[in-house]
Amino acid sequence: MSSDQATNTDVQWLLGLLQASDSLYPTGAYAHSFGLEGMVDAGVVKDRETLRRFLLTTVLPTLRNVELPLAAQGWVAFGPPDWDKVGELCMLAAALRAPRETRQASMAIGRQRAELLAQIQGAPLAQEFVRRAAAAGWPHAAALSTALEARVHGAPLPAVLAATCYAAVAGVVAAAMKVLRLGQNAAQTLLAEALALCPAMVDGAALVPVDEIGWFNPWLDIASARHETASARLFIS
Amino acid sequence: MSVLEGRLGLRVVRAADGRTVVAEQFFQAPFHLSKPHWDPDAGVLHVQVVNPTAGILAGDALRSDVEVGPGGAVLVSTPSATRVFRMEDGASATSRQRWTVAADAWLEVMPEPLVPHRGSRFHQETEVSVAAGGGLLLVDQLMPGRLAHGEAWQWQRLVLGLSVRVAGTLVLRERFDQTGESLRTLSELHGTGAGACFGNLLLVLPEAESAPVWRDQIRALHRAGLWVGVTALPGPAWSIRLVADGPLRMRDGLTAIREVLRKAYPRLGCPLRRP
Repeated sequence: MSSDQATNTDVQWLLGLLQASDSLYPTGAYAHSFGLEGMVDAGVVKDRETLRRFLLTTVLPTLRNVELPLAAQGWVAFGPPDWDKVGELCMLAAALRAPRETRQASMAIGRQRAELLAQIQGAPLAQEFVRRAAAAGWPHAAALSTALEARVHGAPLPAVLAATCYAAVAGVVAAAMKVLRLGQNAAQTLLAEALALCPAMVDGAALVPVDEIGWFNPWLDIASARHETASARLFIS
Repeated sequence: MSVLEGRLGLRVVRAADGRTVVAEQFFQAPFHLSKPHWDPDAGVLHVQVVNPTAGILAGDALRSDVEVGPGGAVLVSTPSATRVFRMEDGASATSRQRWTVAADAWLEVMPEPLVPHRGSRFHQETEVSVAAGGGLLLVDQLMPGRLAHGEAWQWQRLVLGLSVRVAGTLVLRERFDQTGESLRTLSELHGTGAGACFGNLLLVLPEAESAPVWRDQIRALHRAGLWVGVTALPGPAWSIRLVADGPLRMRDGLTAIREVLRKAYPRLGCPLRRP
């Protein structure tokens, strides 16, 4: 690695990405465990090792087969905007989530991120998307908002997909620290192990055709469905 | 080895006397349609799709198209499991299914399980279209292999796609494209063992119901060895999923769910086995 001072000052997209990924940014993501709490309730995830297996066998495959390919397809559809395609992807993103709770979580976070982009950045592309989504009744989706952020900030697709990986894995690990006995170092170790597997997923995301997007985990779907009506819960999803 | 390009077409309609009758049908091997049976109590026409061959072999390309016209009501079942056999030299088999339900019509699809054998490659795409006011119960079962032979999760490639549209709107898209090894790993993590079986039920109702009584009754079937979840899809549609630690528990779970639903939707009262 070179220790020379970086000379590239075109970092505006990076700053935009950092802002959108930061916990200060009011997306509401902190209120979701993305299926983890349901798995804890089911007795599947109960300690550091089972959390590790949950990350590797569930969180990462969902990213690889659903979230990243959707975001990559959305990135293409937003630039220049092909609104018919954007609408189809919004519908697909919602249809890929059978559990109502999971679907509504993605929609709520996606809507918030798109509206923040329209309001805070005043980005015409985001404003147009929000307007069209409202008019046509397109369900919002976190993956599509990821793509929208990339276009608005001018960020390279791989960087945005990498940020998506980080947000997804870190979100689950942060939730785990609230529902499991998990220390900060253990959490960061798990995060590092999972993130080390992400570059290959980022590289492959754009290669997944639309009709091959999807993944099958009935246990996760069932746990999410049961979490909807759980008598006590810490997270919305 | 002979390659089969199987075709099945079936269109049923409501006759003037209120019964559902076959308006059009055609089939070629490996499909065969048994003689339809009208169940007057449930008000449903029962049609069995029979595969007189051993199962699905390399190169087979199957297409089926079933349409229920306005006011019609039909149950489509199979008498035995669908086996997908070992395929050599990269060969594979395909199946495309289309189920179409008109307004005020009812379709129940209750096949026996899909059993992918060691070394099989199979791609099935299912398209479902239900008009506003139509009703549907579509059941899919998947076994991990020939459990009686100690064989599980040994297929080469298995792709199962499902697209569901209600009143023209895409409400569900599923794609199963996983190795047996990845599912075995997931089954171990979730404690459902080496013989986990999967049940996938799609229920589309003529009208939306926000909290039907049967939801909690089905949720209550969840227990050790049988995972059960119920969730609302967009519109008047529901997804019910099961994972059982073996085929017998899966069968018991499906029977119990159908019994619960039958009380709310009498058309599900048509027996799967004819008297």
